[in-house]
Amino acid sequence: MPAKITAAEFGSEVLGSEIPVLADFYSDSCIPCKRMSPILSQLESEYEGKLKIVKINTNFEKELTEKYGVLAAPTLILFKNGEEVSRIRGAAKKDELIGLINSN
Amino acid sequence: MYDLIILGSGPAGLTAAIYASRAGPDFAVIEKEYLGTGQIAFAERVDNFPGFYGIDGYTLGDKLREHAEALGTEFIEGEVTALSKNGSAWEITLADGSSLEAKAVIYALGASPRKLGIKGESDYLGRGVSYCALCDGAFFAGKTVAVVGGGDTALSDALYLSKTSEKVYLIHRRAEFRANKTLADKVRASENIELVLNAVPTEITGGENVESIAITQDGASRELAVSGVFAAVGTLPNTALVKGIAELDETGYIKACEDGATSAKGLFAAGDVRTKNVRQVITAAADGANAVISAGKYLNR
Repeated sequence: MPAKITAAEFGSEVLGSEIPVLADFYSDSCIPCKRMSPILSQLESEYEGKLKIVKINTNFEKELTEKYGVLAAPTLILFKNGEEVSRIRGAAKKDELIGLINSN
Repeated sequence: MYDLIILGSGPAGLTAAIYASRAGPDFAVIEKEYLGTGQIAFAERVDNFPGFYGIDGYTLGDKLREHAEALGTEFIEGEVTALSKNGSAWEITLADGSSLEAKAVIYALGASPRKLGIKGESDYLGRGVSYCALCDGAFFAGKTVAVVGGGDTALSDALYLSKTSEKVYLIHRRAEFRANKTLADKVRASENIELVLNAVPTEITGGENVESIAITQDGASRELAVSGVFAAVGTLPNTALVKGIAELDETGYIKACEDGATSAKGLFAAGDVRTKNVRQVITAAADGANAVISAGKYLNR
């Protein structure tokens, strides 16, 4: 299961990561977010060593949520070398996520 | 070829799966969303499904699903993009291009939130436009938002948002709400919900994110400055795939009685897609059961 991270870990875990990172901005009250969970777990093992997946709780990490202009849960942002390269607003199917990962 | 394919994994489709498991045909359920259970998952609380007083919709959906899984239901993930009949076989095409064949089909694809159908709505989806207050409300804490609609969902959303947002405009096309009286009284008593009645939204505008919604009220146009627009204007049945195949009523529901039989042979309708008076979990479940019995008779004819 992808690890939950806090704002304090964001720099090292996401921005400083050597491999691309898919950050899942989610909230507990969001049903589409719950539906995404098993899919993200699958992707985590399928892309082991090539992609890191982290979860950010938007209710607790309000500063990060605001900084990245997240207005929909879930919002999935792909980071590469510390920069945002792409994002999906709202729930996505596994195929869409694979497309996002492979095209970047 | 399958004997039966059930399209949809909401309460109607899952109940159909439970009945089909026990009836014996070779069948599968097509689910649009991995482990999905349809609209019920979004209900905060369900107080009218017998035996489960006070349960949240997500858990109820999971229980229905676990029940179908325990009886050995085969689930296939995929969005149905086309349905056609070749001779006596139904062909079901999925979004990935693959297709399946079945002798009979239970069509239980449910309903989806109705769109406002105005300029800017799709451009700002996820940038301030939302169909789920519970999902996205927290991003608008301290800000001004608009809710569009006058039913139970719209008023519940307005109340939910009023707890965290600075101000909520409730835009409704009539002077009276369709929502229940308890909700309407609460909304009217709320200090930071402003009612914008007899008003129709015309456009959503902004920069990167939503900044305002234009409305026409009593013939005059004006703009309301908002950061978010939450649409709750009812649902539409997902029946586009059967247009030209089965008879629909003027509002888009598949014409079918309690037995689920449609004007197309071997195609049975269950749940929110069907013409009926009450669209609830209990009636969706009943439809699922009836449709399997009817499909069974059709297969053994």
